[in-house]
Amino acid sequence: MTRLATNESRLVEMAVFGTISQPSLRYPGYTLDMHGVGKVLPGMSGIVYNARVGDPAFGWAADHVEPGVSIANSDGAADMALHYLTCIGNRAIVTGGMAKGAEGIVTGEHARMLVDFAPDVNEMLCVGDPIQIIAYGRGLAFDAFPQIELKKLSPRLLNNIPLEIVDGKLRVPVTMELPPRIMGSGAELNSEYVDQDLMSGDRALMAELGIDKMRLGDLVVIPDADHRYGRGYRKGAAAIALCIHGDSVMTGHGPGILTLMAASEPVIEWVIDPNANISNYLKIRERA
Amino acid sequence: MSVQTNVDKLICVSVMGQIAMPAAPGLPAEPYRLDSQGRPFLLPSYGGIVYNVSVGDSAYGWLADCVHPGVSISLKDDTGNRGLNLLACVGNTAMVMSGDAKGARGVVTGKSGRFSEHVILHFDKATREKMAIGDKINIKACGVGMEIAGHAGVLLKSCSPELVSGLEVTTSSDGKLNVPVVAVVPPHLLGAGAGLTSEGGSLHIQTQDRAELASVGLDSLRLGDIVALIDYDSSWNHGYFRGAVGIGVIGQGDSPRAGYGPGVTLIMTSMTGGINPVVQPGVNIADVFGLK
Repeated sequence: MTRLATNESRLVEMAVFGTISQPSLRYPGYTLDMHGVGKVLPGMSGIVYNARVGDPAFGWAADHVEPGVSIANSDGAADMALHYLTCIGNRAIVTGGMAKGAEGIVTGEHARMLVDFAPDVNEMLCVGDPIQIIAYGRGLAFDAFPQIELKKLSPRLLNNIPLEIVDGKLRVPVTMELPPRIMGSGAELNSEYVDQDLMSGDRALMAELGIDKMRLGDLVVIPDADHRYGRGYRKGAAAIALCIHGDSVMTGHGPGILTLMAASEPVIEWVIDPNANISNYLKIRERA
Repeated sequence: MSVQTNVDKLICVSVMGQIAMPAAPGLPAEPYRLDSQGRPFLLPSYGGIVYNVSVGDSAYGWLADCVHPGVSISLKDDTGNRGLNLLACVGNTAMVMSGDAKGARGVVTGKSGRFSEHVILHFDKATREKMAIGDKINIKACGVGMEIAGHAGVLLKSCSPELVSGLEVTTSSDGKLNVPVVAVVPPHLLGAGAGLTSEGGSLHIQTQDRAELASVGLDSLRLGDIVALIDYDSSWNHGYFRGAVGIGVIGQGDSPRAGYGPGVTLIMTSMTGGINPVVQPGVNIADVFGLK
């Protein structure tokens, strides 16, 4: 494993803050599935006790399930700072309530920031509890690969991914490839903000390609996707991304994919590795 | 074989909007968007009265981001605007109800989606000269609920009876709906709008990779062209599904942004492949409705 030189020593470490979100639904609560059948399902926000990074992304009786704890800031601009400054792998500290002092790890960004705490900490957490994140990673760049944009990658996560340089290209372990034709909801957003869902509606294709084996926390690659300044098709580009939320019943939706590395020219390679999950790299589930 | 619809059962109802002012971000008033290469650009985008771009003109080449041809309308009241965006159908007629262009008639030609949510109308250029931002425009909305007899697997969205008859759709020998289109869009070139509702708004052809765009014959589209979307289901939201086929109108122009390009207003979809796109030149709503 090569540890690549970065500008880590020049990054600024800064606190950002949010509170644990209450799940919310719009009356009458239905989400339409691909056949137009209304479903009422849990998923986003709150403290999710039993879906954790490392668990399957598919198969839950849920829609867009967000593993662990979802936090947000009620002030719009402050919430954007929470979104844009927080990086995957950052430390998160409970600063009030029964679990005060407990430390968690940022594992994703969806409509809210997603934080993993150990199960015994989750038991002591309450909706509304304050969580402070030590945001660290914005501006991170490889010395040797200025063509590769790093997004929301903390040095802690980056330094634990077994990267290699092969023939002048960066080789990244991933669990699977996602074809660009199944990349859906989120194409309308800039790629600094939240995620893009893979479109899982063609269930037979998910099985054919093994995508239905995806786990929360998996690193994946999208060939021919340029995620530097949006999420678009470009032959020869590649995006390395992270599965941050679970599957959906809605057409055009599915597990959420958050960009970690982006290049528009063919400088990123990948190797299929079933262990390419941030649960392993950050030893998330070893925290009892 | 020509088709029959339940047009005699459809309700015709008023929806009103006002000519929308082009908008820009508030303080700190950073005016730029970023193109797909990360370069800042400042160009006209959606909204307003566009004097010199109309359906029938090229969808490409304008110095603009997703330009709306003609006139864009919306309603400040959010739920009222949703009513406008959901019920207005491509081909519905509209009349100017206030201002110097009072009494002039136009036609709905498209819709725009998340972040703008306008209904886009064609008025002749002389009428546009008399219009002002804020003028009230009333649309006789008709089409939601329409079905084509014998084609239960085909859902119609934002589609007026006049569009169905004007396109001269027919039933093929194998029972599919033949729909004339100028081009076919493969799923990997569909971007923004995926996962969002297909009852209004737009789904964008993405145009960053110009060589790919040209290789599939999508680089000469005109505003108002009818296109097919392959392996894309738009029954409820827009999304990938093998065998599904959609039909849409090019409602908005090209964009420099990643994931964006000409915006498609969806008018028909079949999850079960019940639509047979028939590629031919010159299928454009400007001709269908005789728009000048």
